[in-house]
Amino acid sequence: MASALTDRTSRSMNTYTYTSRPRALPCHRRRYRDSLMQPDEEPMRYGNIMYDRRVIRGNTYALQTGLLPGQPDPLQLQKQQEAKRRALARKRTQEQLRPRTPEPVEGRRHVDVQTELYLEEIADRVTEVDMECQTDAFLDRPPTPLFIPAKTGKDVATQILEGELFDFDLEVKPMLEVLVGKIIEQSLLEVMEEEELANLQTSQYAYEEMRNAELAEVQRLEEQERRHREEKDRRKQQQWEIVHKHSETAQKIAARSFAQHYLADLLPSVFGSLRDSGYFYDPIERDIEIGFLPWLMNEVEKTMEYSMVGRTVLDMLIREVVEKRLDMYERKEDKHQSVNPDDERGGSGAMRDSPVSYHFQDLSMSQTQRPLPYDEELAQERKFMDEKELLGQDEEEN
Amino acid sequence: MAHAQISTYLPPNINPTQAAIAYGCRALPKLNEELNSEDLLTRQKALMALCDLMHDPEYVYEAIRIGFLESLKASLKDSNNMVRIKTTEVLYNMATHNIGRDGFLEHDVILALSFLLNDPHPLCRKNLHKAYKHLAQLPSGARGIISNGLIPLLVWKLHREEEEIQELILDTLAPCLQEDATEALSSRVVPFLKQKLLSTNGNIRSKAARALISVSIPLEGKIQVWQHDVIPILVHLLKDDEAEVQANAAGALMYATVTTKGKYAALDAEAIKPLLELLLTPTSKVRLNATKALTMLAEAPEGRKILQAHVPIFRILEEQSTEAVKRAAQIAIKVIEWKP
Repeated sequence: MASALTDRTSRSMNTYTYTSRPRALPCHRRRYRDSLMQPDEEPMRYGNIMYDRRVIRGNTYALQTGLLPGQPDPLQLQKQQEAKRRALARKRTQEQLRPRTPEPVEGRRHVDVQTELYLEEIADRVTEVDMECQTDAFLDRPPTPLFIPAKTGKDVATQILEGELFDFDLEVKPMLEVLVGKIIEQSLLEVMEEEELANLQTSQYAYEEMRNAELAEVQRLEEQERRHREEKDRRKQQQWEIVHKHSETAQKIAARSFAQHYLADLLPSVFGSLRDSGYFYDPIERDIEIGFLPWLMNEVEKTMEYSMVGRTVLDMLIREVVEKRLDMYERKEDKHQSVNPDDERGGSGAMRDSPVSYHFQDLSMSQTQRPLPYDEELAQERKFMDEKELLGQDEEEN
Repeated sequence: MAHAQISTYLPPNINPTQAAIAYGCRALPKLNEELNSEDLLTRQKALMALCDLMHDPEYVYEAIRIGFLESLKASLKDSNNMVRIKTTEVLYNMATHNIGRDGFLEHDVILALSFLLNDPHPLCRKNLHKAYKHLAQLPSGARGIISNGLIPLLVWKLHREEEEIQELILDTLAPCLQEDATEALSSRVVPFLKQKLLSTNGNIRSKAARALISVSIPLEGKIQVWQHDVIPILVHLLKDDEAEVQANAAGALMYATVTTKGKYAALDAEAIKPLLELLLTPTSKVRLNATKALTMLAEAPEGRKILQAHVPIFRILEEQSTEAVKRAAQIAIKVIEWKP
């Protein structure tokens, strides 16, 4: 173990090199009792590059040249080191002077023995093994195996008895509370949901019942209303018809009685008027009336006409005769002056008087006209007179 | 490089099938991204995590706001069974909340879901129908289902599905039919329901009767119910063992006998006697519906004659029961004792 003090820089100022051999860390623990044989080693001087004063750290534009006030100069440093060495030597000597176990007696030997339960192998030397490794040139680096640290040969067993670490019942309580609480909460939620649904269902059910009942009631009432209304309408109709018929019948009866009354004397009057207008006729009578009487009338008319004509002729004749007589008389009056005006007029009047008057006239005329020469005229007159008499008699007979 | 895991064993409370849920407000956006990733495992894990989160209504609201429904709709069309099942489960969980339902209606999820009606996996369809069922509880949801034209499909499916799913479909149909029954009536729902009334499963019978109640609310429904001779079956069901079936059968009768023809059909099927027996059961719904049905029958003169002898029972009912039953009993007595 060479000290790893830095090379003195006195050799060359051009390059500064620092090397430090790898070494196992010394263990400063006092493992064993200090033995007289082994000298104390000097403390190792080691250099850690991180804490080396000469490595410049930090800003390089304000270098500390010279000594820092907190640090001792190199001279002081050497003095300190020598002091330390002397102290060490002194301690060594003092240790040698310390009382130790006495020398072994004759025939005995002092041996150091371990008295613990388990023997321990004591070795100062740390086992060092040099190992080398070299990757195979032709093989790829295999993957690093899982690092399982090797057993170093220490078997340790431990037994934790009941109640040593913790009290289970106490510790588990909060956990259990949480677990059970969560479970119950979740299940309560589900149960509540189902219960809510079930409640909704029952209330819906009850509502539906009510609704159905009410609806049925409404429909029934509607139906009833409809039927009653129809019934009422029908009855009203019937009643109206009855009344109508009643009134009609009454009217008919009234009309009938009135008509009867009115027509009561119709029949006789009808018959009367019919009879009057000649609808009821005795056929013989009718026949006589239709056939005979017109003929009779015609004949009577004829006869009358004849007599009229005869009378007219007679009147003419008379007139002529009278005029002639008048002339004659006037001639005569021129001789006699006798007038016969009176009977002329009377002869042409009433028929009944006429034959008598004609008779008188005749007599008068014949009396007065005897002496006349016109006897033919008188004979004609007489003929006519006879005819007229006949006519007149016929008339009288009639 | 160091991993966050300390040991090769996972801590015991992590579900390996779930994606890790990020903390706080990052949870949902991160899940949204994972949902749209290409890796199947990531998507599945994200869906599993979502299923748990969707039970909380705040998360549902947040999810809808972020636009989760679009990603969910896309993953409905996925080819993997698990993804579809989990997606439908997520949607079902969302549908149990009102916000979820509103979101469905806004984002048109109903249509997207309807593509899965023919899915081969039964669990998928079951979740789908559960989602529909919850959606139908809301009146606007029911209207949404109707306006998407799903009623004829559902009615048709009623026949072909398994029993559990049939129950769900019946549950869905009942509120939808209450909203608007015209489409269903034209797709022959009454004969189907009539068949279901005769099934062996008590639940199905009761739900079918419940659906019949909804069908026979409008006049057209009443006429069809009478035409298809459902009334004798309903009378027969009045003698069933289960209270629920009895109650719903009495309810259906109550609506079907509003028309005169229905009344006489019920009287012909001797409905009065079973209904009188039902008046004394402990379930209040049964009593209520039976009382109402008897009230309907008492409108007819023959019914009134028979029921006049039983007025005392109604008086008992009037005294002891709940408000609705009391009122119903009073009305019944009034009707029975009415003279024209």
